[in-house]
Amino acid sequence: MNQALQNLKHSAVDWRMVLMAGVLLVITVVFNVMSDGIFLSAENLYNIAQQTAVVGILATVMVLIIVARHIDLSVGSVMGFVGVLIAFLMYTSNWSWPVACLAGLAASIAVAMYQGALTAFVGVPSFVVTLGGLMSFRGAAYMVADGKTQPLNDPFFLKLGGGFNGGIGTTASWVLGALICVAIIFSMASKRRAKKAYDVPTNPLWIDTVLALIPMVIVMGFVAVMNAYHIPNKEDAQGIPIPVLIWGAVALFMSFLVHRTRFGRYIFAMGGNPDAAALVGIPVRKVTMLLFLLLAVLTTIAAIVAISRLNAGTNSLGNSLELLVIAATVIGGTALAGGSGTILGSVLGALIMQCIDSGMLLLDVSIGVRYIIIGQVLIAAVVFDVAYRKWTGDVL
Amino acid sequence: MNTQSNIAESAAPKRKADPTKCLVGLRNIKKAFGGVHAVEDVSINLYPGEVVAVLGHNGAGKSTLMKMLAGAYPIDSGDVLINGEKVNVRTPADAQNLGIESIYQTLALADNLDSVANLFLGRELLTRWNTLDDHRMDADARKVFQRLNKNFKNYHTPVRRLSGGQRQVVAISRAIYFNAQILIMDEPTAALGPEETAMVAKLIQQLKAEGVGIFLISHDMHDVFALSDRLAVMKNGKLVGTYRTQDVTEDEVLGMIILGKQPASKLQAERHTA
Repeated sequence: MNQALQNLKHSAVDWRMVLMAGVLLVITVVFNVMSDGIFLSAENLYNIAQQTAVVGILATVMVLIIVARHIDLSVGSVMGFVGVLIAFLMYTSNWSWPVACLAGLAASIAVAMYQGALTAFVGVPSFVVTLGGLMSFRGAAYMVADGKTQPLNDPFFLKLGGGFNGGIGTTASWVLGALICVAIIFSMASKRRAKKAYDVPTNPLWIDTVLALIPMVIVMGFVAVMNAYHIPNKEDAQGIPIPVLIWGAVALFMSFLVHRTRFGRYIFAMGGNPDAAALVGIPVRKVTMLLFLLLAVLTTIAAIVAISRLNAGTNSLGNSLELLVIAATVIGGTALAGGSGTILGSVLGALIMQCIDSGMLLLDVSIGVRYIIIGQVLIAAVVFDVAYRKWTGDVL
Repeated sequence: MNTQSNIAESAAPKRKADPTKCLVGLRNIKKAFGGVHAVEDVSINLYPGEVVAVLGHNGAGKSTLMKMLAGAYPIDSGDVLINGEKVNVRTPADAQNLGIESIYQTLALADNLDSVANLFLGRELLTRWNTLDDHRMDADARKVFQRLNKNFKNYHTPVRRLSGGQRQVVAISRAIYFNAQILIMDEPTAALGPEETAMVAKLIQQLKAEGVGIFLISHDMHDVFALSDRLAVMKNGKLVGTYRTQDVTEDEVLGMIILGKQPASKLQAERHTA
């Protein structure tokens, strides 16, 4: 048994993630009991999943921004600006949605170049740059359509935000789930093979099997729940909502960047020790600039999902969103001092926040109390973070 | 990229440089920060297989001079010659490409990354798809760390949790793995216990035998006399003089460091064969 414990300790399991998943589980069970089984109904879980997508998408990139010792306070305003712009081009200017989205991306990139250059090359703290951006781009969002709401009606485009026709259907969901499971098995096998080839010690087989089984069970369970949601008067069940699919793809891509590319490693090195990063020859400014460009791409994706979900672009789109995104990131274990954070953590953080909010909504808790509680959850997450770092010796 | 993955086999094959040919020539190097002349008109040579100690008070300009050679600070004026050829060292990457490796007093480690990531920081090995080749880096790192310290085990804990000696091993391993021709060591033994200091001393002997030229910044007179072939003393940004270590006494060196006074009867030992 002792040996088994030792194995677990050294098997690269992130105990903080396990604990967060546990917290999420407890939250859902408690709300489910209190709401007489409504919270864990397929309908509610479907809604929570698609509601979290916008914050979740932005939180994945906010992790990297904060890890690199920066912050982006303007993300909600920029998303509002880009969202209204895309909606305006589609509704008022009659552009097709792909072209309008590309134009939105271009605008977003222009914003990122401006804010990125001020941060990376001029050396203005990103807090100041994006605080200015928070106000300016909210103004820009207003100016695009003179404050008028821009309704959307392209049927394909509206699927991107989820909603009535926003699921991919049951068959496609099962197939996708199965493909993901195959990919998990394949990646675990190739990891073991590579370790053996280089004589690096591998985990015992049973640990790797368990580590592979857990995400597979979660994926298939998720598919089953999404497939169980059947909107009344509609022929087929929903399946995985498209915004969640987009969020999942974004999270996978970001994890890939973090774990498998130089870019990701440099972001962490810059956050851990900026002086060392420069001394070993990391092109710090270029990497910072690239990070802002990545932010621009994801802001555009989030804007597309948000306006499609809302069926319209409005000048208030993304109001105060930056606070939710940063909160999700911090609840997900990203240290504001920089140098540490995970993409998976941001996913869990966003889900925890949304679950608490939705759960209280189901229980008819007033909006004032909801804000108070979510604010205190954020603080509790940071208190835990500080205590956890002291305990592991990773004091920043 | 001058990586060499089989480097860890202990007697790594190195180009045997001609010991009479100047490896590094610093010529009339100047650097000012605002109005302060940090380095003024300093010229020093370094030969293959030689250790030159660079001495001086805090603020004498020795670290600034070495950081210019390492590409961390731009040079205001003056030339850097490597093997007799004038080169531009504008960035740390330039220096690395010229075979110049630095071990900084601060060690330049990213504390949140593990020892393997730190060894390869800025020069990660890539697969054919341009992704990080973690398994190869892991395997190579194990060999280098083992060569430096048989007891080294912490490959996958953040380096902030390692002891001073183990952190030093990680910093030194960069120079070993990437096959330094020219090595700058800034206070390499300041944070170390006696055993680890002996390890560094042994390593310096080994690198010398392989023809590596080493600049050693140190305050420890014992280290300087035990390890260096020549010593260059700086004061207030200027070079006081360069002497063969065996020609001067500790008191004379201290006199140069503190008073900027050249020892009366000694010949300056700057070899000019470049």
